[in-house]
Amino acid sequence: MSALLEVKGLTRYYGALKAVDDITFSLPAGTILGFIGPNGAGKSTTMRIIATLDVPTSGEVLLDGKSLVARPDQARPLLGYMPDRYGTYDDMTVFEFLDFFARAYRLRGNERKARVDSVMDFTGLMPLKDKLTSELSKGMKQRVALGRTLLHDPKLLILDEPADGLDPRARIELRELLRALASQGKAVLISSHILTELSEICDTCAIIEQGHLLATGTVQEVLSRTSNAAAFSEVELTLWAGAGMPLEEIARKTERLLLEQPLVTNVSVLNNALRFRLELAVGATPASGWVEEASVRVLKVLVNAEIPVTSFRTREHDLEDAFMSVTKGRVQ
Amino acid sequence: MSAQAVTAREPDAFDRFGEQLADRINPIVVKEVRQGLRTRVFWIFFSLMLVACLFISLFAFAASDGIADKAGQATFIAYFVCLGFVQFFVIPYAAYRSMAREAEDETWVLLTLTGIGPRRILAGKLGSSVLQGILYASAATPFLLFSYFLNGIDLPTIIVGVVISMGYQIFLVSVSVSLATLAESRLVRSLLHFVLLGVLLQGLGFGITGAVLIGEFAQKVTSTAAFWLTSLAVLFGMITTGLLLFESAAARLSLATEDYARGARFVYAIQFIGAGLLFLWGWSISGEAEVLTAGSVTLSVYATLVGLFVASDRDGMAKVHWVSGGRYALLKPGGLRGFVLVISLLMLMAVAFTGLALGEGTLPMGAMLVLVAAPAFALLMLSLPVVVARWIPHPPWQTPAMIRLVFLGLIVLMTGVPPLIGEIVSDADDLFLNALNPVVGLINIERQSHDAMPLVLLVWGIAVGLGFSAFFSLRSRDTEWLA
Ligand SMILES: Nc1ncnc2c1ncn2[C@@H]1O[C@H](COP(=O)(O)OP(=O)(O)O)[C@@H](O)[C@H]1O
Ligand SMILES: [Mg+2]
Repeated sequence: MSALLEVKGLTRYYGALKAVDDITFSLPAGTILGFIGPNGAGKSTTMRIIATLDVPTSGEVLLDGKSLVARPDQARPLLGYMPDRYGTYDDMTVFEFLDFFARAYRLRGNERKARVDSVMDFTGLMPLKDKLTSELSKGMKQRVALGRTLLHDPKLLILDEPADGLDPRARIELRELLRALASQGKAVLISSHILTELSEICDTCAIIEQGHLLATGTVQEVLSRTSNAAAFSEVELTLWAGAGMPLEEIARKTERLLLEQPLVTNVSVLNNALRFRLELAVGATPASGWVEEASVRVLKVLVNAEIPVTSFRTREHDLEDAFMSVTKGRVQ
Repeated sequence: MSAQAVTAREPDAFDRFGEQLADRINPIVVKEVRQGLRTRVFWIFFSLMLVACLFISLFAFAASDGIADKAGQATFIAYFVCLGFVQFFVIPYAAYRSMAREAEDETWVLLTLTGIGPRRILAGKLGSSVLQGILYASAATPFLLFSYFLNGIDLPTIIVGVVISMGYQIFLVSVSVSLATLAESRLVRSLLHFVLLGVLLQGLGFGITGAVLIGEFAQKVTSTAAFWLTSLAVLFGMITTGLLLFESAAARLSLATEDYARGARFVYAIQFIGAGLLFLWGWSISGEAEVLTAGSVTLSVYATLVGLFVASDRDGMAKVHWVSGGRYALLKPGGLRGFVLVISLLMLMAVAFTGLALGEGTLPMGAMLVLVAAPAFALLMLSLPVVVARWIPHPPWQTPAMIRLVFLGLIVLMTGVPPLIGEIVSDADDLFLNALNPVVGLINIERQSHDAMPLVLLVWGIAVGLGFSAFFSLRSRDTEWLA
């Protein structure tokens, strides 16, 4: 089965600026793809093109197998787009706002009523039905905007930085809503410049910087690929002072030992804990599993020297590290 | 009990009718009305206008014994100033703001995505403004009628005043809404805002001057055909120009895959043909054949300046429309079809007016030759830029902007350079030097009358040659595009 959305070699110039550079990825129905990158990476530009609001300089986007660049009019009923500014009107209630867009989508009479009701139900807006949109909190405004994208029951949702500026509770609620939508079989494309927002929401992620796609795949794939690709890893170990020698002395001895080992740098002592870094020489290409290999070697040395180590662990990689390692630290 | 049941059922049926109606009308109108009724601006101006009209009435009533027969006229004008302020300033300005905010708040793209289309969005804005205007006007109508009872103004004048003011309002709202669609960046937006304020203040001035003129003179002339002709011409001009602006804004905002040209071309054709008919009516009323010459010149200028935008549309069109229309579906997008449409209308007018003038036979030779030559200059000025722009190899696709630029350059060159040469070379033959000058050339033809006959033939010959050359180059482009 082919993916619902296929983006092939998408490129967009603004004058001489390459905002999007040869981006390729696909998105099957029922999955959530996180589009991660710093401000100005080209996320919004890519999403606007997929939403038929802009045209690529070159490249192709297929939605349900058909080119949406050639026939935006045919693609529009299949997609729901939420811009980073939510786009609501003043002087309108939640109901009137949704009802207006339902009319614009040519829903008539009872069908429209049913649709608007079901969307308000789903997004939990029923109690706020008659409130003016201008009086809503940011989280609620965003739900109104999300509700609007659902009115015509699209297959693909494109949400540009929806979690930006939301409080943690609203963010968790958003995650639940998106999960529910994905389980209904909708494909969701969601962007953020804040990584932690997305790591729990997405099935797959795509890391973008300066218009380039740096890594794509399931969250697990990107993590393992980037942790291998990383040129360093943080290690923390704790010591036990019950063996006669004072803690300080043990710590100093451990520090000395560690500094003699190859690849070990940045050793720091904190009471009974030591932190250090395993780091490859500049320019060396990381081989798969080098961190594990080096850790085992260091631990062996410590144990042979009868250092009382009670714990030894390399810090787990998360999306944040993955992001830092593939973008080579070019973000603030 | 039963009475209750009846009163309970009635609004139900009414509601259902209202809902069905609201289902069918433009959703933008529904939205704007809902929003409009909630804003303070509407109610403030509505009550202000009513209070002002009430004051005027009281004042007029109190003073009516003293200034006897002028009272009606003065109050009519006073009412009109109040109504005009709302209709010619407040409503168009609100329409501009409402349209500009769609772009500012990025709700415009959301509307576009619903598939509602730029044309319906603009129509919704226009429609809701007209609705508001009707509301204000109907609130003011009883007062206007009151001025009738004060004497000094007749009923036809009042009706013409109200109808023309509605037409003028449609025109101003179209200008405002179309201006708002140009506001793509913040800088342009703030610039346009000033332009709009200028235009609307000017427009308000014109509107009130118009009301004064109607109030002053109408009574003496409402019985004449010339009055009705003028009123109709003014109304027709305002409404069709408003619609033309509206349709071109809609066309500009449409996707290339949409059938975007239809509305604008239709209004163009209507305006051209309508204006032609108004000139014919003027000719039949006045019995003076010079009206035909004036018509020929006016329509030729119109065909050149406005038609240029139709004739220089971008090449080709979406293949979907090609399949359903064919090469000469003149209302469909594409440079070739636009060019053929403009030239066909021009030739139709040239043949009709020349035929009628010849049939009547009272036209002096000079005026006759101008009548015949004017369309030739229009054909020349429309074809030449197309031909020249096609010689320029880059960019490979002839953009509409390029053709319009070339047109501008050619106009400057052809009207400015020959007289300049005439100044330098003192013994140059002015007649032939300015043969292709659309301004001096026409004046020369009028002056020289009989001697200018070969000149007219020459202009026609060159124009027809260039016309065909433009046509064939457009057609070959079209074929290339489709291949
Ligand atoms: N309309 C535009 N005109 C010119 N440059 C633009 C335009 N839109 C975006 N850009 C530029 O393209 C790059 C990518 O922008 P964008 O897609 O908005 O990034 P993101 O959404 O990832 O923050 C930025 O350098 C931005 O300045
Ligand atoms: Mg962005």
